Amino acid sequence: MEPKLQRIVIRNFLLELVIYAILLVLYFLLALRFLGAPLNQLFHLNPLVYAGASLVLIVVQGVALEWITSFLIRRLGLEKLE
Amino acid sequence: MEFPISGVTINPFFLIGIGFVVGLLGGFFGVGGGFLAGPLMFWSGVPMNFVVGTDLAHMTGKSIVAAKRHRTLGHVDARLGFVMILGTLIGVEIGARIIEALKVAGNIDHVIGITYVVILLAISGFTAWESIHALRLSKQQAASGEGDPMPHKDVVSFGGVTQFVRRVRIWPMVSFPGSGIEEISLWIVVGVGLLTGILAGALGVGGGFLRMPLLIYVIGVPTHVAVGTDLFEIMFSAGYGTLTHAVKGNVDILMALVMHTGAALGAQIGAMSTRYFAGPRIRLLFSLLPLIGAILVLVRLLGGNMPSF
Repeated sequence: MEPKLQRIVIRNFLLELVIYAILLVLYFLLALRFLGAPLNQLFHLNPLVYAGASLVLIVVQGVALEWITSFLIRRLGLEKLE
Repeated sequence: MEFPISGVTINPFFLIGIGFVVGLLGGFFGVGGGFLAGPLMFWSGVPMNFVVGTDLAHMTGKSIVAAKRHRTLGHVDARLGFVMILGTLIGVEIGARIIEALKVAGNIDHVIGITYVVILLAISGFTAWESIHALRLSKQQAASGEGDPMPHKDVVSFGGVTQFVRRVRIWPMVSFPGSGIEEISLWIVVGVGLLTGILAGALGVGGGFLRMPLLIYVIGVPTHVAVGTDLFEIMFSAGYGTLTHAVKGNVDILMALVMHTGAALGAQIGAMSTRYFAGPRIRLLFSLLPLIGAILVLVRLLGGNMPSF
């Protein structure tokens, strides 16, 4: 890969990582703040629903936040193409 | 910080750090990382049942992130992954029953521990030997102008088993274009999944460090595709594990979310980094992982405790 192109790829990737990291931290802080008590209750009272909620939460953190990151980068025009 | 579900107080930055390292390893090598995250979580005071379930939960998220990244790089053969899952799930159940039988016999700790160490050392030794040989071969090829100088060219110096396996013609024969496999017996692929499932079920691990070498040396999948496809499979096996363990009360999802914060970032970096390493180098670095796992198990065995992560 050309050095210039490589720099662009790395720059775009690092930008994506920074925004993704911010969203990840915000997500778990919000989950801890607003879902901590309800999840604790579910854990003891309804394990089946707790299991489903657990899987959804972890998948959302991985997939949806990445999608939001890409959307934000495109929308804000931060991606360098050349 | 207190995690009310498991009743554990632990530094969240330590969890994020564990997640980041395990995510990096997972994204780069295609492994779940339980052999490393498990002891670290246990040593920081997390009860063992929560170690197993919570680790699987964060592993699910991390493997999704890493597999997605590998897919954009063209490293995931989903067809191959789905076929292997069939064998893996059956194998895990068989492995779990072997454990039950050993429990009844009363000698589970030493049998499983020693088997684990032998298998890990064998994988580590063989992968190191083969990759060093492959590196020499690719240097010779580059020097004589025979080979492709691109860093992604995968050179495997131990192709004998793959060639033998490809000559086995038990119907049905299938192709996996994503891995460059024109024809192979379906039973070979399911069989590899079954074997890794049995070992994973009996040893209590995700199986990535077993599946990776088998994908490369037996089925003949290029290293980068083996990494991505392995992660694709871990998505499903860890996801299933998360659900069953959550129902059994072994998952602290809040702790998993914290770990996954680091793991998701590490997985992205690890997956992207494979672009800059050729197959033999990835395999050589990979050979260190089972060695670390064997040392951890030996330490626990000599101390009298059996790791059940």
